[in-house]
Amino acid sequence: MKIRTTKYILKEGLINSYRNILMSLASVSIVAATLIIFGVFFLLIANFNYNLNIVKSQPEMVAYCEVDLDGASIAKVEQELLKNEKIESFIKVSKEEYYQNLKKMFKDDADLLKGMEDRMPISYIIKVKDLTQSKEVKTELEKIKGISSVNYSQDIINILTKVSHWMKIISAILTIVLLIVCMLIIANTIRITVYARRREINIMKYIGATDWFIRWPFIVEGAIISIVGALIAFAVVAYGYSVLSGGINSDISKSSNMFYLLRIDEVALRILGVYLLIGVTVGVLGSAMSLRKHLNV
Amino acid sequence: MIKFKNVTKRYDNGTVALKNVDISIEKGEFVFIIGASGSGKSTFMKLTMREEVATKGEIYVNGYQLSAMSRKNVPYLRRSIGIVFQDFRLLPEKTVYENVAFAMRITEAQSKDIKRQVPTVLTLVGLNKKANMYPRQLSGGEQQRVALARALVNKPALLIADEPTGNLDPDTSWEIMKLLEEINQRGTTVVVATHDKSIVDRMKKRVIELDNGVVLRDQEKGLYEDENKNY
Repeated sequence: MKIRTTKYILKEGLINSYRNILMSLASVSIVAATLIIFGVFFLLIANFNYNLNIVKSQPEMVAYCEVDLDGASIAKVEQELLKNEKIESFIKVSKEEYYQNLKKMFKDDADLLKGMEDRMPISYIIKVKDLTQSKEVKTELEKIKGISSVNYSQDIINILTKVSHWMKIISAILTIVLLIVCMLIIANTIRITVYARRREINIMKYIGATDWFIRWPFIVEGAIISIVGALIAFAVVAYGYSVLSGGINSDISKSSNMFYLLRIDEVALRILGVYLLIGVTVGVLGSAMSLRKHLNV
Repeated sequence: MIKFKNVTKRYDNGTVALKNVDISIEKGEFVFIIGASGSGKSTFMKLTMREEVATKGEIYVNGYQLSAMSRKNVPYLRRSIGIVFQDFRLLPEKTVYENVAFAMRITEAQSKDIKRQVPTVLTLVGLNKKANMYPRQLSGGEQQRVALARALVNKPALLIADEPTGNLDPDTSWEIMKLLEEINQRGTTVVVATHDKSIVDRMKKRVIELDNGVVLRDQEKGLYEDENKNY
């Protein structure tokens, strides 16, 4: 097929989408809604995995001292740690070190942490002799005066990994269902369009247009519907997420909770890529499906 | 140009529309195919366009052998023939110009050729001033002329017209027929299926009369009614 014909077919597909603008817009909205739902799940999982990996990369047990502990109290804490026979060894993490680690985790949002240096706690990375005794060690350590909390990651990791696993399964199923719905919507839109234009299609056959010459504009129409839907979905999700993550990340730094929402630019490209890929595939497949069934050319 | 060799057409419902028909139309001829409804007239046209396939026999149109032709080659046959229908069959959402140009676009013709040829053929049928109008804004006669222009734009060797004046008044019908005659003078073979008695009688061209699926009469300079028939 020559380029001039390709241009002609793209133009025809575009003009035809516009001719049934209401129907096209209805289909566009459904595709957009579907992709937005998909996007929400995608972001949930992306964030979940990011934070899970952070948790995984952290030492197994960390004991946090209360903030503003004086030298004498710190010494007392360390004594207690030494006395505990279940502990193999421990490493002290200074306030500065802890602060640096947090900054690394927050990446470009590190400036949210400004002014928090003084509120960093001293912490101890605890290595337990026998891992099965981890729970007991945690309880014992929490009783020590001067220790505000003990994080025992393995528990959390196990739970989160299970949750992550199920989230992925449910998302995968939901996504497939949603995509099938999208394809069916587009297929139906094209079917109606073909039916509405059956006289014209017949005329084109008698003038000597080849089957593909007649088919292509419909496929273009299906692709346009899903691409426009994808772009709208992207705009909504991107804007909504950037507002949300900006807000939550600044709240998080105030409560010194170890949880971080990926910034929008880290995920934007991935989401756009996935959307467009899905968009084109769903659009083309949906149209082709319908043409095969309803277009007798 | 058109050759029917012992052609029989039996439809799925059992009707035999053509029985062992032999017809031969040479290049440059002007032929009327006449006959009552059910005579096989429309079947003849449909077979020529390959809208239907013969049950038995061989059909040759413009060098193409129709029975051996695969489905995907049919468009190429149709492009080499200009076809005009009784109900005009213009694309309603395209202008006059675009309707005629469409016939060239499907052959992937170059823009410059389209820009040259379409106005030429529109002038031939006298509609170059209405190039930007839509079919619904034209009279029946004008629409048929657009259809004629579209049929001619790819310079086909053969033009077939299935009841081209069926929806038109007598004066407009005559204008269309004059155009067809002019086209024939320029070398295009023209085959017209019709039951318009007055036109056939006025033009005195070769007449092939079909009746109940057989060729009743094949006469040069014929009239609608067989002059030699005794009633």
